[in-house]
Amino acid sequence: MKTLIITTITNGKINQNLLPLLDSAGKICDYCDVLILGHDLAAAANEAASINGINSVLTLESAALEKPLAENIASQLSEIAKGYTHVLASADSFGKNLMPRIAGVLEIGQISEIVKVVSPNIFKKFIYAGNVLVEIESLEDIKLLTVRTSNFNGKREPRAESAKIVAIAYNNLIHPNIKWLSSNIVDKSVDLSSAKIVISGGRSLGSKEDFDTHIRTLANKLNAAVGATRAAVEAGFAPNDCQVGQTGKVVAPQVYLAIGISGAVQHIAGMKDSKTVIAINTDQTAPIFEHADYGIVADLFDIVPELYNQL
Amino acid sequence: MIKIMVCAKRVVDANIKVRVKSDGSNVDIEHSKMSLNPFDENAIEEAVRIKEAGNASEIFAVSIGSEKCTDTLRTALARGCDRAILVRTSANIEPIHIAKTLKQIVLREKPDLILIGKQAIDDDANQVGQMLAAMLDYPQATFISKLELNGNKIIACRELDNGTESLEVTLPAVVTADLHLNEPRFVKLPQLMMAKKKTIEHIELADLGISTKPSTRLIKAMDGEIKKNCIMLEDCTQILKILNEVT
Repeated sequence: MKTLIITTITNGKINQNLLPLLDSAGKICDYCDVLILGHDLAAAANEAASINGINSVLTLESAALEKPLAENIASQLSEIAKGYTHVLASADSFGKNLMPRIAGVLEIGQISEIVKVVSPNIFKKFIYAGNVLVEIESLEDIKLLTVRTSNFNGKREPRAESAKIVAIAYNNLIHPNIKWLSSNIVDKSVDLSSAKIVISGGRSLGSKEDFDTHIRTLANKLNAAVGATRAAVEAGFAPNDCQVGQTGKVVAPQVYLAIGISGAVQHIAGMKDSKTVIAINTDQTAPIFEHADYGIVADLFDIVPELYNQL
Repeated sequence: MIKIMVCAKRVVDANIKVRVKSDGSNVDIEHSKMSLNPFDENAIEEAVRIKEAGNASEIFAVSIGSEKCTDTLRTALARGCDRAILVRTSANIEPIHIAKTLKQIVLREKPDLILIGKQAIDDDANQVGQMLAAMLDYPQATFISKLELNGNKIIACRELDNGTESLEVTLPAVVTADLHLNEPRFVKLPQLMMAKKKTIEHIELADLGISTKPSTRLIKAMDGEIKKNCIMLEDCTQILKILNEVT
């Protein structure tokens, strides 16, 4: 058995989700290669080569891969995949876009968002917005998996001798019908997916101003990431990438502070693996309290400023 | 004027809480209320808006599954699709089989734009659009929250983990809809009545020569929801104490 992790870089560095990906790959077998794709990979490749648990670091480097569009890499990656029993990527917007395209090229099935490796063939994942957990066996010779990295351990283990770095030549099969135009990346002080504390607000915040004054200010003071329910996002209180839930992000911080959130199942799907959940809501029958370790029935407009002042 | 293909997956209604069978063999959905997949609703709404703007000649909807999917297709027709195709099968089909089936429909119908939901709310797989695009070697504008059609090109805004990016794709292309793409309209009675007059063509999946050999096997299903014993606090000081303890 051989596993391959496919990842990219952020600002020249390896993505933080490589560590939990390695943890998941290590639960499958002892052999793991890491393929990094993008442009200017030297620093990231060296960094990866110093992490324990990697056999070889493969680089797929080209100026054309600065923005690694799935259309330009899936055919080459599907050829590379044939040398492995398992291919893994993080279940983020990169992995979710790419892995099914590789599966489509190979015309085989794929398993999305695994949360546990039971055995090399058997994985656990959620369906129905997290209401149901299933254990499924992959019947394919090559198992294509995306991994919910918040469910795996992100500990970095150093090694004595660096792994070897192998450069793979890009086949230059650039799809003529897609062009990357621009991006609008929100530079957040704290990343929602890997934050230790997440403070989320719901529709009861009432306005963007109140969301900012109550949720954002508190988050800044606690060095926490800001989350929001779908309702709050749709009401324009917070940008789309703050959305926590079935269709947004899945987070598992040390502390999840749910402020004015009722607890729709679609939202619970995105935060139920948090270590400690504290809920603030005026309605004591709100479902969020069934998923919280601690709760307080209070008006957020009273309690949040008080909390802020006492910090 | 472009021709648009949309999909209509029949799923358990978003407001229903799905339960696991007592023997853990699968989920128990036999008597659940079924609906059109919400993400497909967004895709259909967008297609209809393109047609209303005078930029599409036809929208057809495809569903794959049992005869009961005709209800789902009627909903799609009431929402503004012109006609529908039901690919009938009783087999348990996975995203890879759906993509292979849709590919056959695309080859026959030659739509310019395939506009589908980014995921279905039952298996939450988020795979079909990308698989289909790969099989056709089409570009894939996935997780799209904004779309602008300009001749044979689309400028699409993709939702990323930390923001958005803007892509230009040349048709034919696959676009998968995020829930933020639009607000689907309410369907009124006259539209529902009109939908009854529109045609639904029936095709047997077996006749398309597609293998439904499973790629996965369900071992067991478990309740995914863990309820906690919530300790109720009285005041702010207690919240602070817990925050200090756990961080």
